[in-house]
Parts: sequence; C-alpha cells; structure tokens
Amino acid sequence: MVRQIDPERLPAGTYLNTGQAANRALRVNRLCYDLKEPANRAAFEADPEALMARYDLEPEDRQLIRDRDWLGLVQRGANVFPLLRLSQLCGDGLAGTGAQMRGETLEQYLATRQAKGS
Amino acid sequence: MARIIGGLGSPHAPSIGALIDQGGWDQPEWKKLMDGYRPMQDWLEAHKPDAAILIYNDHVTSFFFDRYPTFALSVASEHPVADEGFGPRPLPPVRGDSDLAWHLAHALVEDEFDLTICQDMPLDHGALTPISAFWPNHANGWPTAIVPIAVNVLQFPVPTPRRLYKLGQALRRAVESWPQDKTVVVLGTGGLSHQLHGERFGFRNADWDHEFLSLLETDPEALASLRTQDYIERGGAEGAEMVMWLAMRGALSGEARKLHVNYHGPLHTGFAQILFEEPAAVIA
Repeated sequence: MVRQIDPERLPAGTYLNTGQAANRALRVNRLCYDLKEPANRAAFEADPEALMARYDLEPEDRQLIRDRDWLGLVQRGANVFPLLRLSQLCGDGLAGTGAQMRGETLEQYLATRQAKGS
Repeated sequence: MARIIGGLGSPHAPSIGALIDQGGWDQPEWKKLMDGYRPMQDWLEAHKPDAAILIYNDHVTSFFFDRYPTFALSVASEHPVADEGFGPRPLPPVRGDSDLAWHLAHALVEDEFDLTICQDMPLDHGALTPISAFWPNHANGWPTAIVPIAVNVLQFPVPTPRRLYKLGQALRRAVESWPQDKTVVVLGTGGLSHQLHGERFGFRNADWDHEFLSLLETDPEALASLRTQDYIERGGAEGAEMVMWLAMRGALSGEARKLHVNYHGPLHTGFAQILFEEPAAVIA
C-alpha cells in the first residue's frame, strides 16, 4: 500500500491536523468554532478569561490565546480555519495572522507579495 | 436520462466573495481574476443547467471535529447562508434539488461511496464564493439548483487523490442513471497552491499550478496517481484541497473540451478557473 503521508518528511513549518495534537486541540478548536455565534464573539470581547473557563482549556492554551500567539496555537494542534475566527476577532486579518506565523511584520510579509491588502 | 454538460473549476477564497458583495468586479488588482469568471458566466447563462453538483469543503462551519465526515452530501431543498464569524453574506438561501440528491445518495452508496447524508447543512465560503461568482445575478435567487458534496480536506487522513477522481466517475454514472431529462454541471472548487498555517504560511507555486491545470486537461490519471504528500509539498498543506478538482474532472467524458482557463495569484493563493464542455452541451 502506498502511504499518502510521510510524517517525518513534511515541509518545514507545516503542522498537519491529525493524531494526538488534534485530540489535544479539540477544546481550543471548539472555542474557535463556537465563535461563529455572535453571542460567543461578544462574550470573548467582554471577558476572554470567562469564555476560556467555559471550555476547560489547558493553562498552556489559555496563555497562548492571551499572548495572541497564533503560531504557538497551530503548533499545539489548532486548525487554522477556526483559529482565524479568533485571530480576526482580535484584530489580526488573514495577512496579519500569517505574517506573525512567518515571524514577520505585516509590512514585511506584504512586501513579498505582488498585491497589497487581504 | 440526465446528462452532464460541463465541468467548472474555481477558487473559493472568502476575499473573492467580499469583492463580489462590494461590486468590485473591476477593482484593478483583482481584475485579472474576476475577468476570468466572465466566459464561465456567459456559458452558464447560455446553457442554463438544471443542477450543479458542487464539490467543496466546509471550513469548520457546518461540521466540527467532534464528528467529522469524509464525504457529506446534502439532500436539502434549501441551504442557509452560514455566519462564519463575521456575519452572513447578503445572499439568498441556496436552492437544492432533493430529488437529484437522494438519487445520487442511493447511486453513490450502491457504487460503494458511503456518504454522510445531510438534511440541514448551512453553506460557508467554500460553497458560496464559487456560486456567487458563477451566477452574479443571484440577488433574487439562484438560477441553478445546487447539490453540495462536502469533502474532508482539513483533518488527516483525507481521501486520496484517486478517491476524488473515482468519486467523479461515480457521479457521472449516478447522474446518467437519473431518469429525468435534466442537464447537470459539476463544480470543482478550492486551491490552487497555498498554505495558510505555520512558518510556511504564504507558500505558493505557480509552476505547479500551471502543470496541474495542464494535466487536468490532458492526463488527469497522472494527477490521480500522485500522493497527498505530493500535493502538500508542491502546492501547500491547504492547497492540497485542489484534489477536489479531480472529482469534477472524473465526472467528465474523454470528449470534454477545455474552453477556458485563467490564472492569477498575487497574494496568498494561486487562483485559477477552468471550464470544460461536454459534447452533450446544447444552448438552452
């Protein structure tokens, strides 16, 4: 049988949504998933600690959210699509979220592109 | 007998949907991309397909990882426009075709595609971006019924490239066994190359995108033979969703002709559109 994925040979800076990291990230992903509800977006903006308490997050995950550490959350197993709900709620657009994950400023990232904005 | 008259490929980035809602068809930085939809809109307007089978992926909007289907077919007669976290787009609910969808459900399961059957499935940008671009005069409703099939491309293992190609072949058999005199198009969505997470965010590969578009026309079997890893390496982890275009191509016959292709990838993603026409296509 041809194996579809070589976990040891993934491109650097790639974190597949699978395995124990996916299990561990379920609660963070659920918090982000639930931000599609306006009431949850309002709850996060009013009191992020109270909202995080509702999801029984691990201390490491709570700190990463406090730090707006999108790369750290992805490395802990969070999936980027629900995570983008949280990062954009926190004021980082797609380009800004990506720039942070690359270790760049938004301006540095956009300078690598042909078009500006997102 | 129902027949497939064409296949269309489109990206599904939410930024394209936002442009459409703002009337930004001629915005200079995106004109090359948006102009790529014009021949497709004209073709759809001329041929007026009764239904479109939409191969797309949900972005953790209607499905969550607590219970995550590999293939999910909607049999709903209408699909709500989802709020993904920023308020729903100003679009009318998306009309389905329950008769066709239930027929597909039976035919595909008998053909060993064991799908999850969904009766209430709001649609997010994965579905709404392409259809709002293909049918720009949607304010008062959609001219073609949409039958969505959601594919897991987010949580690994995802179905193999060959499985998507086979899904397309099974869809063709299923449509051709529907005893209704209806015309159907198949929509492949997503891609092309992009990666939206990790330090590799922003990865694009225009050479691979052009090779993919060429092989999609001339040698889709070669694309079906690649591994998921190949798609991740060449087109980025999120770009691996481009296997959904193989389901569109697999639903077409050997006689389908490519009428149109367009490519524009200035920002995060290599965007492409393609239009195939079957000999069975006639001007409505």
